Amino acid sequence: MMNHPEFPLIDTESLKHAANQAALAIPPAWPLASSVAVNPFLGQSGEGLAEVGARLARVAGVAVTMPRAWYQERIASGAISDADLADALINAPGDRRPAHLAALKAMALTLSPTPKALPTIADLAAQASGIDWRALIAERLGSWAAGYFDVGQALWAAPRGAGAYGAWRAVATHDLTPEIVGLRGFATHVSKAPDNACGAMARAVQRLRLSAGALETYFHQLLLNLGGWAQYARYLSWRAELGGASDETITELLAVRLIWEEALFERYVEQIADPWTAVLAEHAAPLAPTADQIVDTILQEASERAAQRSLALFLSAAAPAVSEGRPPLQVAFCIDVRSEVFRRALEGVNPGIQTLGFAGFFGLTASHRRFASDVHELRLPVLLNPAVTTCAGGTHDLPADQAMRFKARARRAWVRFKLAAVSSFAFVEATGPIYIGKLLTDSLGLHRASPPNDPAPSFDPALDIATRVQAAETILRAMSLTANFARLVLIAGHGANVVNNPHASALHCGACGGYSGEVNARLLASLLNDTAVRADLKSRGIAIPADSLFVGALHDTTTDAVTLYSDDHPSPTHDEDLKTATTRLAAAGQATRGERALRLPGADTERGIARRSRDWAEVRPEWALAGCQAFIAAPRTRTAGRSLAGRAFLHDYDWRQDSRFGVLELIMTAPVVVASWISLQYYGSTVAPDVFGAGNKLLHNVVGGIGVLEGNGGILRAGLPWQSIHDGERYVHEPLRLTVCIEAPREAMTGILTRHEGVRALFDHRWLHLFALDDDGRMKWRYAGDLQWTPMNDSTRPEYPLRIAV
Amino acid sequence: MDFLPLWAPSALLLSAALGFCIPGRRPRTLLKSAEVAALAAIAFASLSATWLGFHAPSTSPLLGFGSFGISVRLDAVSAVMLLLVTFVGWVVLRYSATYLDGEGRQGAFVGWLCLTLASVMLLILAGNLVQLVASWIATSLSLNRLLLFYPDRMAAQRAARKKFVPARTADTALSGAAILLALHYHTTDIATILSAARAGDGGALPVSAAALLAVAAMLKSAQFPTHGWLTEVMETPTPVSALLHAGVINAGGFLLIRFADVILLAPTLLAILVMVGGFTAVFGSLVMLTQPAVKTSLAWSTVAQMGFMMLECGLGLFPLALLHIVAHSLYKAHSFLASGGAVERVATQRRPGPVAIPKAGAVGRAFLAALALYALVGLAFGFEHKSPQAIALGAILIFGVAYLLAQGLADAAPRALTRKTALYAIATSVSYFALQAGAVWLTSSVLPAAPTPGPLEWALIILAVISFGFVAVVQAMFPLWAYHPAAAGLRVHLSNGFYANAVFDRLLRGWALQRPSRALRRSQS
Repeated sequence: MMNHPEFPLIDTESLKHAANQAALAIPPAWPLASSVAVNPFLGQSGEGLAEVGARLARVAGVAVTMPRAWYQERIASGAISDADLADALINAPGDRRPAHLAALKAMALTLSPTPKALPTIADLAAQASGIDWRALIAERLGSWAAGYFDVGQALWAAPRGAGAYGAWRAVATHDLTPEIVGLRGFATHVSKAPDNACGAMARAVQRLRLSAGALETYFHQLLLNLGGWAQYARYLSWRAELGGASDETITELLAVRLIWEEALFERYVEQIADPWTAVLAEHAAPLAPTADQIVDTILQEASERAAQRSLALFLSAAAPAVSEGRPPLQVAFCIDVRSEVFRRALEGVNPGIQTLGFAGFFGLTASHRRFASDVHELRLPVLLNPAVTTCAGGTHDLPADQAMRFKARARRAWVRFKLAAVSSFAFVEATGPIYIGKLLTDSLGLHRASPPNDPAPSFDPALDIATRVQAAETILRAMSLTANFARLVLIAGHGANVVNNPHASALHCGACGGYSGEVNARLLASLLNDTAVRADLKSRGIAIPADSLFVGALHDTTTDAVTLYSDDHPSPTHDEDLKTATTRLAAAGQATRGERALRLPGADTERGIARRSRDWAEVRPEWALAGCQAFIAAPRTRTAGRSLAGRAFLHDYDWRQDSRFGVLELIMTAPVVVASWISLQYYGSTVAPDVFGAGNKLLHNVVGGIGVLEGNGGILRAGLPWQSIHDGERYVHEPLRLTVCIEAPREAMTGILTRHEGVRALFDHRWLHLFALDDDGRMKWRYAGDLQWTPMNDSTRPEYPLRIAV
Repeated sequence: MDFLPLWAPSALLLSAALGFCIPGRRPRTLLKSAEVAALAAIAFASLSATWLGFHAPSTSPLLGFGSFGISVRLDAVSAVMLLLVTFVGWVVLRYSATYLDGEGRQGAFVGWLCLTLASVMLLILAGNLVQLVASWIATSLSLNRLLLFYPDRMAAQRAARKKFVPARTADTALSGAAILLALHYHTTDIATILSAARAGDGGALPVSAAALLAVAAMLKSAQFPTHGWLTEVMETPTPVSALLHAGVINAGGFLLIRFADVILLAPTLLAILVMVGGFTAVFGSLVMLTQPAVKTSLAWSTVAQMGFMMLECGLGLFPLALLHIVAHSLYKAHSFLASGGAVERVATQRRPGPVAIPKAGAVGRAFLAALALYALVGLAFGFEHKSPQAIALGAILIFGVAYLLAQGLADAAPRALTRKTALYAIATSVSYFALQAGAVWLTSSVLPAAPTPGPLEWALIILAVISFGFVAVVQAMFPLWAYHPAAAGLRVHLSNGFYANAVFDRLLRGWALQRPSRALRRSQS
């Protein structure tokens, strides 16, 4: 049975290609120390929701839409209107959609069948033997991968030299567990496997009788079965490729998983050969969505159209009067939806205050070293490479830097003493009682985490004047902030302030690579306070008055306190301005907390919020970006004075100042894409929590310093935890694909979509919806795909024969 | 006043009843009253301890019929343990109130948590054998409900099945021990039994009882090779792990300490405890080094620490075993509850640059310095009152301190680091000598002194010192050999805990395909 001439050999190139394609189908997962929201459908953005539904049903047995009951509830309540359903129906592609509205509504009342994944050999072997091989493989592979990817939890780290495949083989040839459970000769099987991953794959593919057509979804399925481990490996290759290198870890994981399949196939070949042939035929069959998947997609589209309807209504309301003259204070925030609430509150404190929205890394892509640290942190969107290197403090801070390092190293020696073999006993007997105090302070939430307060960051090496001026000009123009500067301009990054939370970095700034944003904000402030830079900017048409002071700030999104880093630029003449600003920010913080408290279970009042941020048992310190559903790039006046309830990314953009639409291109290719990753991460974690969510926070077991397991072991869980999208009684995130509204000429947007295929795919396949706003900020045109636009409120819309049929 | 401590478990029993009445989501009244009950329990425990400060240890009259009923033994051991359990209980209940917010069965969870805590308290306070056995079994059963809080989780069932066998065996052993003791001493009153045993009233029955007690204790404390279940019970919310590792797991050690006088009747038994405990300690702490998941690593640490506590019992150092239980519980409760900070902790460790690795010379100097430190601090606290066992144990602990010194003495370590680690080493040594002196003083009227060692004991003492010393040296020079290819195989076997778990799984069909389990049916009924 070793050779099967009737199955044509697949050549190495096609095999490699198939493995690479499978790798690309897996979304990357960043380590939790700097986690970033990732679009779980990243590898499928060239397909529509229905097609992806069919694909994931086959490989993972999950749906990519909500259960029917969820839509039905919204139809019944009127939230989704008949018009929404009809619009979604008529715009649905394909000829297999329901014939008319009544048929669609009838389908909405039925249950969508639960999708069932094709079985792997592990599943077939489990049926044949009664041993849960799938769970055992997850446990064994997880046990190895946890050690292999560990970045510092275990004192005795696993050897990593030989690459993933070699490292796994070294472990698997020693590990007796599979044989104890019942897979005789597994270690021998592994030791006889080819000594490179590619060879191992080729052998397995042949022995498993795989045809070329079956590879795509079968490989995808095997990698998906590895959960976060495959996603973390995909992250390694993402990072490598961004730096111009490559990384094979993910295909090596695939080879490992194939070796398991091969061993189980040989062990149970008599029982499972026939069903396996049938499974392979199904893998080779082309993917096509079922009628149910198409209906689900239409219902999803209808719920999005319903939300767009209310957004259109919101944007059509009259804009408040713009106050003329020099604003008393300007504050630039990150576009993050959490800043919408705070900006509104701050403008409410004094309507003259001008707020701006801009991507939170403020145009400075920094590879940053914190104070007393050797680690380079990438504080920039993960789509980009760092352009500048920076560090906290300058030469005069060196003695303090050194002293702090010694302190940190002594503390590290203490931790190693605490964990090492014999010394852990001495540690416990000598210091156990100290933990009475620790238990008390943590239980009562007495330990307050202070906001980051490193010495001011600086460019290292320093930038020459031409570079500094160029950067300053680009950033100011991108912010549409080129005139009418206030005396005090705050650049506010944001970060969360929580304790004992493995997902803390997910609450930080996504634009800053999962770190808090104060470093980039302080860097920009120092750039814009630079007198030499200002002098040159003037010659380029941007005149910053001499009495304007820029100050970096940090908006704490958990408690809505704002820290001002005014010591970076001592300016006694601005004392009064800073004092007033502090008071106003405090008032805005209070109003924001009041609004947020209504959504947070158990917060009760505005005051409860600070307590929650210090509570070590709190699993919902804040809602982060839950609820996000729109992205609006327009002048602030289009949205000011009304509540978007923290659901919209607001990017300031005035196309009239953007002569060649360079800024528009930047917005559509960077912030919009980052926002789509965020929105789709929430979407994926909500509709398919088992595959794209991180599971139950109550069971989380931090592994390797990079991620979480749910429970004892097994696969790494990437994505959002259940508690981040659900409050125990209802979803706090409505899974809607993001609606992007841009006030700009359609032709300019069409041009940009033509040039950027990847971005265009997101809109063409409706992972994002695009609308053009007219000169009054109203949603005027809907992007219909294929570079076409259809007008909103179109009177020429055919009055559906469908509707008559109701 | 005899029944004062009994108010502590009573308060929690009331909350448990309330929890079973409102088992659902966001039970606000229950959460508030459970915390009040926990605080009241701390108050009753403190009052009892204060009262004990002015009165001799005593046992209350028995409430019940014949030998069946509740009586309260209040002495230094039960007072300390009651304070510990009420305190940890409050921490865990308070944590759960927030942590489980939004869970559909939070009320029931709190109910089982309170019931488990009350059972542990009744066990600690038991003045008679019947109560001891009953509360021991009740603790195990109610904890089991917490471990299966998510009954359809496969891994939770697997762990529960693995726990079931040692737990029921331990129940049987303890019941057997109780019967033998009652038969021999013609009473179920524990204090009476202990004073008779201390007076030398032994024989076949008490020795067999002691053996059964030791079996029960070893099974309960997850000693090798029955440790498997303990490292796999992370399938339930974190506070349960905290309670298990800081409260329930101590039942085994408590049993040995409570019956110290009976245990001392069987010297061979002590030798077995030294060997099993010592092996488990070394084994567990080595496995822990390889674990990349934070809770799993903490669980292996518990296995090791319980082994060390058994070793102390085997050496007859019961007051130190009690100190170890208290110190370890506080540390481990905090570590579990704070385990969510592991991402940040790992990141922090990486920031100040590479670790300075001590070479053989530095390790040698560190051991000499540590021994000198031991001599110095030991003289200050008075060696002459200490038993050979206590001196040996001190030596073992000082080997650990040597690791701290070695890190500061590494060639690449800057002066400032050397100074700081030396300071830490001195503070650690002084602290544990002081704590040990305190533990001995506190329990002097209740717990027997370590017996004068005979040849067997001496052999074991020397063996223990040598093996711990060896591991300490190996560990101090760790990075120099651990990444050698020859160690790779050893690392694999160690990280799998020498497969004791896999064998248990196989015997209990742990990897069988999931079918509706007993646990699931129970929870649905």
